[in-house]
Amino acid sequence: MTIDGRAFAAGQAFLLSTKTWWTRVLYPEVRAEFEKDTVLYRYFCWLERHLQRFKYSGRYGLQPYLAQDRARLEKSLEGAPAELNPGLKYPEYYTRIDIHQHPGGVWSDPIAGFVYERGARSTTPLAGQRHRDLHERLTAAALERCPAPQRVLDMGCGFGKSTRPFSEALGPGKVEGIDLSAPCLRLAARDAAGAARFRQVDASRTDYPDSSFDLVTSTMLLHEMPPAVVEKTLAESARLLKKGGRMVHLDFLPAEDEFSRLIHFGHGRRNNEPFMEPLAGMDLAALLERLGFRNMEIRPFEEADGALAPGYQYWRFPWTLISAERW
Amino acid sequence: MIPEQTFFPDPALDRAFGVVMALAQEVWVMRDRMAAMEAQLAERGVLQVEKLNAEPAGDERAAEREAFVQHLMQNLLGVQQAKGPR
Repeated sequence: MTIDGRAFAAGQAFLLSTKTWWTRVLYPEVRAEFEKDTVLYRYFCWLERHLQRFKYSGRYGLQPYLAQDRARLEKSLEGAPAELNPGLKYPEYYTRIDIHQHPGGVWSDPIAGFVYERGARSTTPLAGQRHRDLHERLTAAALERCPAPQRVLDMGCGFGKSTRPFSEALGPGKVEGIDLSAPCLRLAARDAAGAARFRQVDASRTDYPDSSFDLVTSTMLLHEMPPAVVEKTLAESARLLKKGGRMVHLDFLPAEDEFSRLIHFGHGRRNNEPFMEPLAGMDLAALLERLGFRNMEIRPFEEADGALAPGYQYWRFPWTLISAERW
Repeated sequence: MIPEQTFFPDPALDRAFGVVMALAQEVWVMRDRMAAMEAQLAERGVLQVEKLNAEPAGDERAAEREAFVQHLMQNLLGVQQAKGPR
């Protein structure tokens, strides 16, 4: 059964409107009556799980819709200058689950980058068209802490959404993005048109020489790794930075209260992101100190205007800036 | 095959609510398509939107509606339509 463009757009818009209602109406209600076993809480969980399933695999899902256009999409990636490593073996933690309920994960299908890119446009309903803001805000925060870097490494760059504001701010030839996913890297390289270099490299064990970069960043990468790999990735960040260089990672760490943790860890389970909870259990400050960093910051990050204001009541990710200077 | 996560005391509700939401999505997709069709037809002068929107003078589709309701609601009676084991 084919999915025409109008039906796809309407079907996805329905899901996004429903998710927006979940974010703005249901979430504050669930918080107000906070007890685990209420009817509202169950519907909250159900919708979080299954709206995402509909989004990717449903009747008007991203995967079946874009798969109809597979030949054209694959052809558009031909000649994309991604530097792929055919010998790279995807780690077991990466292939064991389909992250974000993306069927086949972000790595196994040649069109996975397109599916991920389209899906990422509606990850946070309230951001809407402003979603790009987030990456621009991170870029600004990073460049404030590390002005005019000559070489920047964006770990876990995916299809290049987080890399682009850096290459736009700094000009071509200064920014490199690395990721495990070949389909995402191809899309990133195609769209960057030479503004940044994209390589298939595992961030926890790269092939760059010591002290190669002034700035190492990542966006939503650490929570997708088991703690042992997070530790290696941060150690690798330290190795790759020049003395006085900065690393700036943007990720999720929930507040200390029971409700925030219940919602956040539940989100991890429901969205097939099993390492959300282990990341929150790590003592990152101690780890960074051990790895030779100083001037550390682990603090909430305002992804949109007003998101950290005391009265803010809608569902949001607990965005956290994790930054430190190589010493 | 990995069993889907469940959130309600009876997993039947988890599954049935999936059916409800799938139908709700279909309703919206159909409404969207119908509105787009109406707009295109009106643009070409084929459709008189005011006439379409006006309260009908008579009960134009009473018989079809009664049949529809009967078919829908008879499910609640729990009566076999072809006799078989109880």
